[in-house]
Amino acid sequence: MAQAALILQELKRCKVTDVIGLPDNSSSALLELLRQDHSIRLHSVTREGEAFALAAGLWVGGKHPLVLIQNTGLLESGDGLRGTLLRMRIPILCLVTYRGYAKTQGNSGSVPEKLNAEVLSRPELDSVALMTEPTLNAWGLPFDFLHTDDHVSKIPRVLAKAEERSSPTVLLVTRDMT
Amino acid sequence: MLTKHDLLQPLATLRGDAVVVTTMGVVRPWGKYSTSELDFASADSAMGHAADLALGIALAQPQRKVVCLNGDGSMLMTLGTLVTVAQSAATNFILFVIQNNTYEITGNQPVPGSGFVDFAAMARGAGFRETYVFDEAQDYAQHLPGILEGEGPTLVVVKVEPGTEGPLSRGVQEESHYLKPSLAESAHRLRKVLTSND
Repeated sequence: MAQAALILQELKRCKVTDVIGLPDNSSSALLELLRQDHSIRLHSVTREGEAFALAAGLWVGGKHPLVLIQNTGLLESGDGLRGTLLRMRIPILCLVTYRGYAKTQGNSGSVPEKLNAEVLSRPELDSVALMTEPTLNAWGLPFDFLHTDDHVSKIPRVLAKAEERSSPTVLLVTRDMT
Repeated sequence: MLTKHDLLQPLATLRGDAVVVTTMGVVRPWGKYSTSELDFASADSAMGHAADLALGIALAQPQRKVVCLNGDGSMLMTLGTLVTVAQSAATNFILFVIQNNTYEITGNQPVPGSGFVDFAAMARGAGFRETYVFDEAQDYAQHLPGILEGEGPTLVVVKVEPGTEGPLSRGVQEESHYLKPSLAESAHRLRKVLTSND
Protein backbone atom coordinates (compact mmCIF):
# COMPACT_ATOMS: atom_id res chain seq x y z
CA MET A 1 0.00 0.00 0.00
CA ALA A 2 1.06 3.60 -0.53
CA GLN A 3 1.07 6.37 2.01
CA ALA A 4 -1.15 9.27 1.10
CA ALA A 5 1.40 11.70 2.54
CA LEU A 6 4.05 10.47 0.12
CA ILE A 7 1.68 10.81 -2.81
CA LEU A 8 0.75 14.34 -1.75
CA GLN A 9 4.42 15.25 -1.43
CA GLU A 10 5.06 13.97 -4.95
CA LEU A 11 2.08 15.85 -6.37
CA LYS A 12 3.44 19.05 -4.85
CA ARG A 13 6.87 18.35 -6.29
CA CYS A 14 5.26 17.90 -9.70
CA LYS A 15 3.52 21.27 -9.30
CA VAL A 16 0.01 19.83 -9.47
CA THR A 17 -2.28 22.79 -8.75
CA ASP A 18 -5.73 21.19 -8.49
CA VAL A 19 -7.21 17.80 -7.68
CA ILE A 20 -10.68 17.01 -8.96
CA GLY A 21 -12.59 13.97 -7.87
CA LEU A 22 -15.05 11.98 -5.86
CA PRO A 23 -14.29 10.18 -2.62
CA ASP A 24 -13.97 6.43 -2.22
CA ASN A 25 -12.53 4.24 0.49
CA SER A 26 -9.16 3.77 -1.20
CA SER A 27 -8.46 7.46 -1.66
CA SER A 28 -10.03 8.81 1.52
CA ALA A 29 -6.65 9.27 3.27
CA LEU A 30 -5.31 11.40 0.43
CA LEU A 31 -8.52 13.41 0.22
CA GLU A 32 -8.34 14.08 3.95
CA LEU A 33 -4.79 15.39 3.59
CA LEU A 34 -5.80 17.55 0.65
CA ARG A 35 -8.65 19.04 2.69
CA GLN A 36 -6.17 20.02 5.41
CA ASP A 37 -3.37 21.14 3.12
CA HIS A 38 -4.45 24.07 1.00
CA SER A 39 -1.44 24.21 -1.29
CA ILE A 40 -3.32 22.09 -3.84
CA ARG A 41 -6.90 23.10 -4.50
CA LEU A 42 -9.47 20.31 -4.11
CA HIS A 43 -12.65 20.29 -6.20
CA SER A 44 -15.51 17.91 -5.46
CA VAL A 45 -17.78 16.96 -8.33
CA THR A 46 -21.06 15.07 -8.46
CA ARG A 47 -20.08 12.52 -11.12
CA GLU A 48 -16.82 11.40 -12.65
CA GLY A 49 -17.54 12.67 -16.17
CA GLU A 50 -17.68 16.12 -14.65
CA ALA A 51 -14.22 15.61 -13.18
CA PHE A 52 -12.68 15.16 -16.63
CA ALA A 53 -14.45 18.20 -18.11
CA LEU A 54 -13.59 20.38 -15.11
CA ALA A 55 -9.97 19.22 -15.29
CA ALA A 56 -9.88 20.03 -19.00
CA GLY A 57 -11.17 23.54 -18.30
CA LEU A 58 -8.63 24.09 -15.54
CA TRP A 59 -5.85 23.00 -17.87
CA VAL A 60 -7.07 25.27 -20.67
CA GLY A 61 -7.07 28.06 -18.10
CA GLY A 62 -3.40 27.42 -17.34
CA LYS A 63 -3.48 25.06 -14.34
CA HIS A 64 -1.94 21.62 -13.83
CA PRO A 65 -4.82 19.52 -12.51
CA LEU A 66 -5.06 15.86 -11.55
CA VAL A 67 -8.16 13.64 -11.53
CA LEU A 68 -8.71 11.29 -8.58
CA ILE A 69 -11.52 8.76 -8.98
CA GLN A 70 -12.37 5.08 -8.56
CA ASN A 71 -12.50 2.62 -11.45
CA THR A 72 -16.28 2.37 -11.09
CA GLY A 73 -16.49 6.08 -11.89
CA LEU A 74 -14.02 5.68 -14.72
CA LEU A 75 -16.40 3.27 -16.41
CA GLU A 76 -19.27 5.69 -15.89
CA SER A 77 -17.47 8.60 -17.47
CA GLY A 78 -16.65 7.29 -20.95
CA ASP A 79 -17.91 10.15 -23.10
CA GLY A 80 -16.78 12.81 -20.63
CA LEU A 81 -13.25 11.46 -20.83
CA ARG A 82 -13.30 10.84 -24.57
CA GLY A 83 -14.68 14.25 -25.47
CA THR A 84 -12.40 16.26 -23.20
CA LEU A 85 -8.98 14.99 -22.16
CA LEU A 86 -8.58 12.53 -25.04
CA ARG A 87 -10.10 14.58 -27.85
CA MET A 88 -8.33 17.74 -26.63
CA ARG A 89 -5.00 15.93 -26.09
CA ILE A 90 -4.62 17.23 -22.56
CA PRO A 91 -1.66 15.82 -20.62
CA ILE A 92 -3.25 15.12 -17.27
CA LEU A 93 -2.56 12.35 -14.79
CA CYS A 94 -5.57 10.43 -13.50
CA LEU A 95 -5.13 8.50 -10.27
CA VAL A 96 -7.72 5.73 -10.45
CA THR A 97 -8.24 3.55 -7.42
CA TYR A 98 -8.70 -0.07 -8.44
CA ARG A 99 -11.68 -1.64 -6.71
CA GLY A 100 -11.53 -5.42 -6.90
CA TYR A 101 -7.86 -5.67 -7.82
CA ALA A 102 -7.02 -8.00 -4.93
CA LYS A 103 -9.82 -10.35 -5.94
CA THR A 104 -8.49 -10.64 -9.46
CA GLN A 105 -5.03 -11.44 -8.08
CA GLY A 106 -6.35 -13.99 -5.62
CA ASN A 107 -8.26 -15.73 -8.38
CA SER A 108 -5.64 -15.21 -11.01
CA GLY A 109 -5.86 -18.83 -12.09
CA SER A 110 -9.58 -18.65 -12.65
CA VAL A 111 -10.08 -15.17 -14.10
CA PRO A 112 -11.34 -15.79 -17.60
CA GLU A 113 -9.62 -14.04 -20.45
CA LYS A 114 -12.82 -13.39 -22.34
CA LEU A 115 -15.50 -11.24 -20.79
CA ASN A 116 -19.16 -11.97 -21.31
CA ALA A 117 -22.40 -11.73 -19.36
CA GLU A 118 -21.85 -15.09 -17.69
CA VAL A 119 -18.40 -14.06 -16.40
CA LEU A 120 -19.43 -10.52 -15.45
CA SER A 121 -22.34 -11.78 -13.34
CA ARG A 122 -20.33 -14.26 -11.26
CA PRO A 123 -20.67 -13.19 -7.61
CA GLU A 124 -17.13 -14.25 -6.68
CA LEU A 125 -15.62 -11.86 -9.24
CA ASP A 126 -15.74 -8.05 -9.17
CA SER A 127 -16.88 -7.12 -12.64
CA VAL A 128 -15.51 -3.58 -12.40
CA ALA A 129 -12.03 -4.97 -11.80
CA LEU A 130 -12.36 -7.31 -14.76
CA MET A 131 -13.37 -4.47 -17.04
CA THR A 132 -10.92 -1.79 -15.93
CA GLU A 133 -7.79 -2.68 -17.89
CA PRO A 134 -9.63 -3.84 -21.07
CA THR A 135 -11.56 -0.55 -21.01
CA LEU A 136 -8.40 1.54 -20.64
CA ASN A 137 -6.85 -0.37 -23.53
CA ALA A 138 -9.95 0.10 -25.66
CA TRP A 139 -9.99 3.83 -24.92
CA GLY A 140 -6.31 4.19 -25.82
CA LEU A 141 -5.38 5.35 -22.34
CA PRO A 142 -1.86 4.36 -21.26
CA PHE A 143 -1.70 3.11 -17.67
CA ASP A 144 0.71 1.94 -15.02
CA PHE A 145 0.34 0.63 -11.46
CA LEU A 146 0.91 2.19 -8.09
CA HIS A 147 1.04 -0.71 -5.62
CA THR A 148 3.30 0.49 -2.81
CA ASP A 149 5.33 3.44 -1.50
CA ASP A 150 8.13 2.48 -3.85
CA HIS A 151 5.90 3.23 -6.82
CA VAL A 152 5.07 6.80 -5.78
CA SER A 153 8.18 7.88 -7.63
CA LYS A 154 6.45 6.82 -10.86
CA ILE A 155 4.23 9.91 -10.66
CA PRO A 156 6.72 12.37 -12.20
CA ARG A 157 7.77 9.87 -14.86
CA VAL A 158 4.18 9.17 -15.85
CA LEU A 159 3.42 12.89 -15.93
CA ALA A 160 6.45 13.53 -18.12
CA LYS A 161 5.26 10.85 -20.53
CA ALA A 162 1.79 12.41 -20.62
CA GLU A 163 3.38 15.75 -21.54
CA GLU A 164 5.55 14.09 -24.16
CA ARG A 165 2.54 12.38 -25.76
CA SER A 166 0.22 15.30 -25.10
CA SER A 167 -2.44 12.96 -23.80
CA PRO A 168 -3.91 11.88 -20.48
CA THR A 169 -2.51 8.90 -18.62
CA VAL A 170 -3.64 6.73 -15.74
CA LEU A 171 -1.99 5.37 -12.62
CA LEU A 172 -4.02 2.53 -11.15
CA VAL A 173 -3.81 2.58 -7.35
CA THR A 174 -4.29 -1.05 -6.42
CA ARG A 175 -4.45 -0.85 -2.62
CA ASP A 176 -6.04 1.51 -0.12
CA MET A 177 -3.91 4.57 0.62
CA THR A 178 -2.96 4.90 4.26
CA MET B 1 -39.54 34.43 -26.67
CA LEU B 2 -36.19 35.72 -28.02
CA THR B 3 -34.50 34.96 -31.30
CA LYS B 4 -30.86 33.87 -31.30
CA HIS B 5 -30.01 37.31 -32.67
CA ASP B 6 -31.73 38.92 -29.65
CA LEU B 7 -29.66 36.70 -27.38
CA LEU B 8 -26.25 36.88 -29.03
CA GLN B 9 -25.90 40.34 -30.50
CA PRO B 10 -25.98 42.26 -27.18
CA LEU B 11 -23.68 39.71 -25.59
CA ALA B 12 -21.16 40.03 -28.43
CA THR B 13 -21.19 43.80 -27.95
CA LEU B 14 -20.72 43.68 -24.19
CA ARG B 15 -18.55 40.60 -23.53
CA GLY B 16 -15.24 42.55 -23.37
CA ASP B 17 -12.39 40.17 -22.58
CA ALA B 18 -14.66 37.43 -21.28
CA VAL B 19 -14.08 33.87 -22.44
CA VAL B 20 -17.22 32.62 -24.18
CA VAL B 21 -17.83 28.87 -24.36
CA THR B 22 -20.62 27.78 -26.71
CA THR B 23 -22.24 24.46 -27.45
CA MET B 24 -24.89 22.89 -29.67
CA GLY B 25 -27.41 25.21 -31.33
CA VAL B 26 -25.58 28.49 -30.71
CA VAL B 27 -22.09 27.41 -31.82
CA ARG B 28 -22.45 28.55 -35.43
CA PRO B 29 -24.71 31.56 -34.73
CA TRP B 30 -22.16 32.91 -32.19
CA GLY B 31 -19.47 32.64 -34.87
CA LYS B 32 -21.42 35.20 -36.91
CA TYR B 33 -21.13 37.80 -34.13
CA SER B 34 -17.64 37.16 -32.84
CA THR B 35 -14.20 36.23 -34.13
CA SER B 36 -12.47 36.59 -30.77
CA GLU B 37 -9.59 34.32 -29.84
CA LEU B 38 -11.36 34.01 -26.48
CA ASP B 39 -14.22 32.01 -28.02
CA PHE B 40 -14.31 28.27 -27.51
CA ALA B 41 -16.76 25.86 -29.13
CA SER B 42 -17.55 22.79 -27.10
CA ALA B 43 -18.24 20.97 -30.36
CA ASP B 44 -16.95 17.55 -31.37
CA SER B 45 -16.49 17.15 -27.62
CA ALA B 46 -18.26 15.54 -24.68
CA MET B 47 -22.05 15.60 -24.58
CA GLY B 48 -23.42 17.86 -21.87
CA HIS B 49 -20.04 18.93 -20.52
CA ALA B 50 -19.70 22.50 -21.77
CA ALA B 51 -20.70 23.97 -18.40
CA ASP B 52 -18.18 22.05 -16.30
CA LEU B 53 -15.45 22.72 -18.86
CA ALA B 54 -16.24 26.44 -18.73
CA LEU B 55 -16.31 26.32 -14.94
CA GLY B 56 -12.78 24.95 -14.98
CA ILE B 57 -11.62 27.89 -17.10
CA ALA B 58 -13.35 30.30 -14.72
CA LEU B 59 -11.65 28.75 -11.70
CA ALA B 60 -8.27 28.92 -13.40
CA GLN B 61 -8.79 32.52 -14.54
CA PRO B 62 -10.52 34.26 -11.62
CA GLN B 63 -9.64 37.74 -12.91
CA ARG B 64 -11.61 37.18 -16.11
CA LYS B 65 -15.33 36.64 -16.74
CA VAL B 66 -16.27 33.31 -18.28
CA VAL B 67 -19.62 32.93 -20.02
CA CYS B 68 -21.02 29.55 -20.99
CA LEU B 69 -23.86 29.40 -23.51
CA ASN B 70 -25.29 26.00 -22.64
CA GLY B 71 -28.35 24.32 -24.09
CA ASP B 72 -31.30 23.05 -22.09
CA GLY B 73 -30.76 19.48 -23.30
CA SER B 74 -27.08 19.73 -22.40
CA MET B 75 -27.88 21.13 -18.96
CA LEU B 76 -30.24 18.23 -18.27
CA MET B 77 -27.43 15.77 -19.01
CA THR B 78 -25.30 17.14 -16.17
CA LEU B 79 -27.64 18.71 -13.63
CA GLY B 80 -25.15 17.91 -10.88
CA THR B 81 -22.92 20.59 -12.40
CA LEU B 82 -25.30 23.19 -10.96
CA VAL B 83 -24.23 22.04 -7.50
CA THR B 84 -20.57 21.90 -8.49
CA VAL B 85 -20.75 25.46 -9.82
CA ALA B 86 -22.53 26.78 -6.74
CA GLN B 87 -20.08 25.06 -4.41
CA SER B 88 -17.13 26.44 -6.35
CA ALA B 89 -18.34 29.98 -5.70
CA ALA B 90 -16.76 31.08 -8.97
CA THR B 91 -17.80 34.72 -8.83
CA ASN B 92 -16.63 35.25 -12.43
CA PHE B 93 -18.83 32.53 -13.94
CA ILE B 94 -22.05 33.19 -15.84
CA LEU B 95 -23.95 30.14 -17.03
CA PHE B 96 -26.61 30.67 -19.66
CA VAL B 97 -29.21 27.99 -20.27
CA ILE B 98 -30.70 28.57 -23.68
CA GLN B 99 -34.12 27.07 -23.34
CA ASN B 100 -35.64 26.22 -26.71
CA ASN B 101 -37.16 23.01 -25.35
CA THR B 102 -35.68 20.93 -28.16
CA TYR B 103 -32.59 19.01 -29.17
CA GLU B 104 -32.14 21.39 -32.08
CA ILE B 105 -29.15 19.92 -33.90
CA THR B 106 -30.62 16.43 -34.02
CA GLY B 107 -33.89 17.64 -35.52
CA ASN B 108 -35.71 19.53 -32.78
CA GLN B 109 -36.99 16.56 -30.83
CA PRO B 110 -38.48 17.75 -27.51
CA VAL B 111 -36.20 17.60 -24.45
CA PRO B 112 -37.62 15.82 -21.41
CA GLY B 113 -39.70 18.16 -19.32
CA SER B 114 -40.01 20.77 -22.03
CA GLY B 115 -42.65 23.27 -21.05
CA PHE B 116 -42.39 22.81 -17.29
CA VAL B 117 -38.74 22.41 -16.26
CA ASP B 118 -37.63 25.42 -14.21
CA PHE B 119 -33.84 25.74 -14.48
CA ALA B 120 -33.72 28.89 -12.37
CA ALA B 121 -35.49 27.14 -9.50
CA MET B 122 -33.09 24.21 -9.78
CA ALA B 123 -30.12 26.57 -9.77
CA ARG B 124 -31.42 28.39 -6.69
CA GLY B 125 -31.94 25.04 -5.01
CA ALA B 126 -28.37 24.11 -5.91
CA GLY B 127 -27.09 27.28 -4.26
CA PHE B 128 -26.61 29.81 -7.06
CA ARG B 129 -26.29 33.40 -5.86
CA GLU B 130 -28.06 34.97 -8.82
CA THR B 131 -30.64 33.65 -11.27
CA TYR B 132 -32.48 35.38 -14.10
CA VAL B 133 -35.14 34.29 -16.55
CA PHE B 134 -35.81 36.20 -19.77
CA ASP B 135 -38.43 35.61 -22.41
CA GLU B 136 -38.47 39.11 -23.84
CA ALA B 137 -35.63 40.74 -25.81
CA GLN B 138 -35.80 44.25 -24.39
CA ASP B 139 -35.87 43.06 -20.79
CA TYR B 140 -32.84 40.85 -21.50
CA ALA B 141 -30.90 43.65 -23.21
CA GLN B 142 -31.57 46.00 -20.30
CA HIS B 143 -30.35 43.58 -17.66
CA LEU B 144 -27.37 42.12 -19.53
CA PRO B 145 -24.80 44.81 -18.64
CA GLY B 146 -25.52 44.36 -14.93
CA ILE B 147 -25.34 40.58 -15.23
CA LEU B 148 -21.95 40.74 -16.92
CA GLU B 149 -20.59 43.16 -14.33
CA GLY B 150 -22.16 41.48 -11.33
CA GLU B 151 -20.79 38.86 -8.99
CA GLY B 152 -21.69 35.23 -9.68
CA PRO B 153 -22.01 32.41 -10.01
CA THR B 154 -25.00 33.49 -12.07
CA LEU B 155 -27.52 31.44 -13.98
CA VAL B 156 -29.34 33.11 -16.85
CA VAL B 157 -32.21 31.26 -18.48
CA VAL B 158 -33.13 32.69 -21.87
CA LYS B 159 -36.17 31.34 -23.65
CA VAL B 160 -35.45 31.31 -27.38
CA GLU B 161 -37.20 30.12 -30.49
CA PRO B 162 -36.01 26.76 -31.79
CA GLY B 163 -33.75 27.10 -34.82
CA THR B 164 -32.64 24.85 -37.62
CA GLU B 165 -28.97 24.23 -36.87
CA GLY B 166 -27.72 20.87 -38.10
CA PRO B 167 -25.04 18.60 -36.63
CA LEU B 168 -21.74 20.31 -35.81
CA SER B 169 -18.40 19.49 -37.33
CA ARG B 170 -14.91 20.94 -37.37
CA GLY B 171 -12.68 21.79 -40.31
CA VAL B 172 -12.23 24.20 -43.17
CA GLN B 173 -15.76 23.52 -44.44
CA GLU B 174 -17.16 25.32 -41.38
CA GLU B 175 -17.62 29.09 -41.67
CA SER B 176 -17.18 29.89 -37.99
CA HIS B 177 -13.62 30.84 -37.15
CA TYR B 178 -13.54 28.66 -34.06
CA LEU B 179 -14.81 25.54 -35.81
CA LYS B 180 -11.97 25.47 -38.34
CA PRO B 181 -9.29 24.02 -36.02
CA SER B 182 -9.61 20.65 -34.34
CA LEU B 183 -10.88 20.50 -30.78
CA ALA B 184 -7.35 19.77 -29.58
CA GLU B 185 -5.90 22.75 -31.45
CA SER B 186 -8.65 24.99 -30.07
CA ALA B 187 -7.99 23.88 -26.50
CA HIS B 188 -4.22 24.32 -26.77
CA ARG B 189 -4.57 27.71 -28.49
CA LEU B 190 -6.91 29.04 -25.83
CA ARG B 191 -4.54 27.90 -23.09
CA LYS B 192 -1.75 29.76 -24.85
CA VAL B 193 -3.84 32.91 -25.09
CA LEU B 194 -4.98 32.71 -21.47
CA THR B 195 -1.47 32.13 -20.14
CA SER B 196 0.40 34.52 -22.41
CA ASN B 197 0.60 37.17 -19.69
CA ASP B 198 1.43 34.81 -16.82
